[in-house]
Amino acid sequence: MEAASSVSDLGILDSVDDASITEIMESWDGFCRATEALLNGHGDLSVGSEFVSHVHSLCKRSLGSLVQDHFLRSLEETFERNGATRFWRHFDAYTHVEVMEMSKSPIQENGIQKVLYKALDDVSLEKQYQEKCLLMLVHALQSYKDSISEERHNSDAERIHLFSKYQLIVSSVLMTTLPRHFPEILHCYFKGRLEELSTIMAGEYEDDNESDDKDDMDLDEKNKVSYRGEMDIDECYQRRKFLENNKLVKNIGKVVRDLRNLGFTSMAEDAYASAIFLLLKDKVHNLAGDDYRSSVLESIKEWIQAVPLQFLYALLAYLGDSVSYDNPSSGLKSPLASHPSSCYPGIDTPSEGLIRWQLRLEYFAYETLQDLRIAKLFEIIVDYPDSSPAIEDLKQCLEYTGQHSKLVDSFISALRYRLLTAGASTNDILHQYVSTIKALRTIDPAGVFLEAVGEPIRDYLRGRKDTIKCIVTMLTDGTGGNPNGPGNTGDSLLEELNRDEENQENAGIDDDFNIDEKQDWINAERWEPDPVEADPSKGSRNRRKVDILGMIVGIIGSKDQLVNEYRVMLAEKLLNKSDYDIDSEIRTLELLKIHFGESSMQRCEIMLNDLIDSKRTNSNIKATITQPSQIGSELGETGVSLDILDATIISSNFWPPIQDEALNIPGPVDQLLADYAKRFHKIKTPRKLLWKKNLGTVKLELQFEGRVVQFTVAPLHAAIIMQFQDQTSWTSKNLAASIGVPVDVLNRRINFWISKGILSESLVTDPNDHIFTLVDDMVEPGKNSVNAGSCEELLVCDEEGERSVASVEDQLHKEMIVYEKFIMGMLTNFGSMALDRIHNTLKMFCLADPPYDKSLQQLQSFLSGLVSEEKLEIRDGMYFLKK
Amino acid sequence: MKVKILRWHAVASWTWDAQDETCGICRMAFDGCCPDCKLPGDDCPLIWGACNHAFHLHCILKWVNSQTPQAHCPMCRREWQFKG
Ligand SMILES: [Zn+2]
Ligand SMILES: [Zn+2]
Ligand SMILES: [Zn+2]
Repeated sequence: MEAASSVSDLGILDSVDDASITEIMESWDGFCRATEALLNGHGDLSVGSEFVSHVHSLCKRSLGSLVQDHFLRSLEETFERNGATRFWRHFDAYTHVEVMEMSKSPIQENGIQKVLYKALDDVSLEKQYQEKCLLMLVHALQSYKDSISEERHNSDAERIHLFSKYQLIVSSVLMTTLPRHFPEILHCYFKGRLEELSTIMAGEYEDDNESDDKDDMDLDEKNKVSYRGEMDIDECYQRRKFLENNKLVKNIGKVVRDLRNLGFTSMAEDAYASAIFLLLKDKVHNLAGDDYRSSVLESIKEWIQAVPLQFLYALLAYLGDSVSYDNPSSGLKSPLASHPSSCYPGIDTPSEGLIRWQLRLEYFAYETLQDLRIAKLFEIIVDYPDSSPAIEDLKQCLEYTGQHSKLVDSFISALRYRLLTAGASTNDILHQYVSTIKALRTIDPAGVFLEAVGEPIRDYLRGRKDTIKCIVTMLTDGTGGNPNGPGNTGDSLLEELNRDEENQENAGIDDDFNIDEKQDWINAERWEPDPVEADPSKGSRNRRKVDILGMIVGIIGSKDQLVNEYRVMLAEKLLNKSDYDIDSEIRTLELLKIHFGESSMQRCEIMLNDLIDSKRTNSNIKATITQPSQIGSELGETGVSLDILDATIISSNFWPPIQDEALNIPGPVDQLLADYAKRFHKIKTPRKLLWKKNLGTVKLELQFEGRVVQFTVAPLHAAIIMQFQDQTSWTSKNLAASIGVPVDVLNRRINFWISKGILSESLVTDPNDHIFTLVDDMVEPGKNSVNAGSCEELLVCDEEGERSVASVEDQLHKEMIVYEKFIMGMLTNFGSMALDRIHNTLKMFCLADPPYDKSLQQLQSFLSGLVSEEKLEIRDGMYFLKK
Repeated sequence: MKVKILRWHAVASWTWDAQDETCGICRMAFDGCCPDCKLPGDDCPLIWGACNHAFHLHCILKWVNSQTPQAHCPMCRREWQFKG
């Protein structure tokens, strides 16, 4: 454009005569000299009149645009020399300083502040002078136009055009010479000033709360929270007034305005925006920290209102605009925005720009807090329920940002790294799983993300052998399990879940109103209690709610397996009781019935009923002693009476298979049992008793010379030790034969007495035969007298591998063994088969004796047993016969 | 050394003193209970006929009531009479 207009101007020269040319040349030279003198005159405007006349004469020759071009080019060259180069030279000292260092050192930072003010002052002064010169040209051009024309021209268009061209020149000169570190210097400056401001504001803040107890931080924090949304007009006004008059804000405002004048509008705003965000981030980290037991979200929002928004308000007011730079409609000022006196966030509507800032800051704060909490979610859940305030914060953050997937990914990797490792006990994993469900259902009531997070835990637990046992213990046993775990001690998980459910039911209707008032009003009116036979997989009456029990049962696969395991554990417990006290078992059974249905628990109910019946029968039998039978009187002579004998009488069809092993119990006791059975038969004809002599508990007292020791032991232990009354030394073969058990069983179980220091063991020539000798006081008086008079208890089930009841795996193996031949035959015929094909074939062909009724999982675990016995092998999901 | 037994808590199972294992009417174990009962033992007793066949009391009562005028033992077809 400019080049084209110059050419056309020069075209005029062709049509003029020599004299004119000389005149033009003289005027041009004069104009150039005057321009140079003007621009380098440093305030000396004495060449002014000469300059104007040269402009006029050149304009007369229609060389106006040539004049403008030359003048602007001169301005550009001068600005490059006197403006930009000098401006940048101020910052040379910081060329190689890293930003981090700049902001760390207060001296450095103070230096930056001073240098920036000086540099901006200098360059602004130069620019003002040049603008003055440019204005002189504008006037010269204007006065020429006025002289040749009757009508008055509007000079504004020309002036605006030239000034905007000049502004462009200034910006592009600075931009093209911009040193790389300048934005960092700006960032550092704003960061420093904002921190200073924040400190001042914090002081103001404290003053506001002067009447409150300053020593108590928690209380202070609460007061801050209570301010939210209630900042009254007075306070708002004062704070605003304070900031408007604040020198610091004015200084910052001046820097921003100077930078805008130089064309650094967006760079300046980027710099203070990033400083604000950095400050906010620090604030969030400071407030949140590693404390999960109090909510911080409100304090953060409060701080955003109190510091950055108030600052922005003051800044925008100083700059005279109320719309932020990134507002796409900044050209169209809203009528409301033109009232900068409106008090934010008071009664008047705040400016659009400030609202945008608030939204940006809050989003950033939510996201920062959310990331912080997600990174520590594992710890937070370990700390649950004490950490529920942090969970509540996280919930709100996620609702705002919608970044739930971040939580899922991060938490799953934390689980893999920290929990799902060989070192973690199954109990710990289960408790963390339950805490995870409890914590995350707050965030995720529908359980969608919980499903994703729970999957790796469930998968991992399925690979552990003791999972079912631990689950049953956790559900039903309030004393064992995890003593360090969260929740009330002495309360089983089932008890807790039940209590929660009752609470929910009471509070449920009110709660629901928050979610969807209308729909839930309808639901509330239609409310019906759950059917007693609730299916845990379907959750409680509210389908949206996360069902903790269902998620736990989900680990095992089916409730039947869980119930089976419970039955075995219950049997073990009941058979090792030395009394009939089953109150806690009855309570647990009631809870299990609620969740798994009455019919599933039928057998357990009969087992407990057996204990109740046994107690009654036992006392009925004892009541018959007053009419002594023949045997009874005989026994009186041996020193043991029926008084010492109690019995648990079971309905064996409903109990898990009992480990029935032969045992010769001591003669007098054997006679007692016979007497007891006889009396039972008399009362309960035609029912009779079959003793399981290896089961039960015996409390006995070992009487040494000078000391007495009591033990509670299994009948086998009693039988062993009683043999040492008449004969103090036994070989294992003889002893085993005498009490009627295999030698290996004896050798294993006799360890109990050896470990208690009652018996000692010595090897003879035959390595399979041992000699056991009673440790007499005379032999080692020092060692044993320590125990004198003490009473030791042994819970029989403590002994590794000694159980009264067959385990679930053993039972399954026994039941499946009949199909082994059939499976081997199939594989011989077909070569290889997949799991489900074997399953379906068994279902099709094994209809009787006994019909095949096992689940796919049960078949799988049986087959993997055959694989480990090296009868089968498995490749790519196909089973083969092992060759 | 002398051993004094303070308490012996033994375990036994009960069983009906009958020749058969299962009830000829409902095919359930005698030591279990009839299909109408939940608890075995005293709550669902056995009863013997004059022919010495045993059934769950509840099972044979239903059977007798359905066989009018004269019921026969489901096992041996002899006239049913409760054992005195
Ligand atoms: Zn029957
Ligand atoms: Zn019955
Ligand atoms: Zn008969």
